[in-house]
Amino acid sequence: MTTAAPGAVGPLASPRPALEVTDLDVYYGRGRGRRQALSGVSLSVAPGETVGLIGETGSGKSTLARTVLGLVRAGAGSVRVAGEDVTGHGGRRWRALRRRGVVQYVFQDPLRSLDPDLTIEDSLTEPLLIQGTGRAEASARARALLDRVRLSEDLLERLPGELSGGQRQRVAVARALITGPELIILDEPVSALDSANRVQILEILKELRAGGVALLLISHDLGSVAGTADRVAVLYRGELVETGTARQVVGDPQHPYTRLLVGSAPTLRGASADRAEREALRALLHT
Amino acid sequence: MVRRVLALTSGRIAVAVLAVIALLAVLGPWLAPQDPLATSDNTLAAASGAHWLGTDHLGRDVFSRLLDGSRVSVLGSLEVALVALVVGAIPGILSVYLGRVFEWITLRLADTLVALPFLLFAVAVIALLGNGLTQAMVVTGALVSPLFYRVARAATLSVARSPYVEAALVAGASTGWIIRRHVRVKVLPPIAVALAQTIGVGFVIVSSLTFLGIGVQPPQPTWGGLLASDLGYLSHRPWGPVTPALLIMVTVWACNLLADAIRDVSGEAGRALVNDRKARANRLAKGRPVSAGGAR
Repeated sequence: MTTAAPGAVGPLASPRPALEVTDLDVYYGRGRGRRQALSGVSLSVAPGETVGLIGETGSGKSTLARTVLGLVRAGAGSVRVAGEDVTGHGGRRWRALRRRGVVQYVFQDPLRSLDPDLTIEDSLTEPLLIQGTGRAEASARARALLDRVRLSEDLLERLPGELSGGQRQRVAVARALITGPELIILDEPVSALDSANRVQILEILKELRAGGVALLLISHDLGSVAGTADRVAVLYRGELVETGTARQVVGDPQHPYTRLLVGSAPTLRGASADRAEREALRALLHT
Repeated sequence: MVRRVLALTSGRIAVAVLAVIALLAVLGPWLAPQDPLATSDNTLAAASGAHWLGTDHLGRDVFSRLLDGSRVSVLGSLEVALVALVVGAIPGILSVYLGRVFEWITLRLADTLVALPFLLFAVAVIALLGNGLTQAMVVTGALVSPLFYRVARAATLSVARSPYVEAALVAGASTGWIIRRHVRVKVLPPIAVALAQTIGVGFVIVSSLTFLGIGVQPPQPTWGGLLASDLGYLSHRPWGPVTPALLIMVTVWACNLLADAIRDVSGEAGRALVNDRKARANRLAKGRPVSAGGAR
């Protein structure tokens, strides 16, 4: 693993990271069909810190998120969420942790992550209702959140199919916020949005960071998270190949894959790699 | 969903026909103008003021027999459908959640039941337990249950793997919560379609069994039994089988019509229907065109 700066893997400054992943291995399948999806991944996110996890499709980004959320079992290594070691957790202990609402996940496709038969209000209040909060209080808290995500109250009675893509993404973020989580994992939060909605979502994320929430932004596009993330971790074929501050990774990429990413991102300053240079980097990666 | 079904013309027709059939089943024996079992010398008579649908070969009033026999036919078909629903749908939903062993056992059971010919099996059960429609219908219901098992399982599987169920899981939802809040709404429409179809199939099964004289003791009247007795005297009363056959046909048709209506108003299509109505209401309220439904 190439590290842009010594010690960059750890949080910027925190007594207890919101997320701490150490030497994580994840496998899919059994026997001969067993395939390693993550290998020796170590990563931590401090409260109030935003970490961008970058990688191409199939690199293991979503697998890492799903392992942190307990949807995929870890093969080796450890995962600590909000100070609690969750590596050996069974179904019941996972449910108890999730009910506390300390970790939330914003899915890649907000349309499919909202039940098409439930109104926006029902979807928003669901995490609170699961915790056992009364319907009236849950509804009041949902309404109080709407301002923060720039949504109007009349949307609450609508179905997800009646909202625009940007509105749905903000509903998904609001749903993640409603339990007051310490850590939010966002899977490609802006990749399907137009530039106006993208800016709005990124502004909301910056406000969250200022409020002390730890954010793990997953994306295939370095350009879309480099401006928001404090640190960037680059995942390639299941391994973290480079981590560092966003400035370090973009300004002085060490690993050939990161150089290729920086060179291919049209939105980044210094993304000047020409075609020949990109092909040379690709050739280097495949040797 | 009931309101949406009734908003469709086909749904209203189906519900109206089935309501009349249900009324016949409940009130039939009291509505019968004459004793359905009373014989007379006036055999194979044509329709008249005294006998609206004529008389059969023993001089019994056919109209009274049809009314009296509707209860057995309706109850029999409901029994088949309800037994199939309980035996099939509940394990179908649970097979997704109760682990691989339960899933494997229920799948193999469903495969086995599908392989058994239900009409022959019902005849065999009656031979074993004695001539009674109830036991025959319970067994037939169990044999038809794989339909509900498959429908409920397929609908549950598609919901269980959806991101919104994962979102609920991440929020700490239990299996019970997920079934109540997310799965039930999605599984009910296909089950309702299957239920309406099975009630129709149930009518055919009850009529087939009673046509063969199985399940009921003569002289108790049933629609299938009337059809059979009338068929024996076709040369004397060629119009005789028309009424019981028509009743069976219309009932089965109404069940299928209801199934189609439920399918048309549920799921994605149903939401589109509601969106269209909202858009139309908006247009009328504002007096100008508004795009339907919003972004998808």
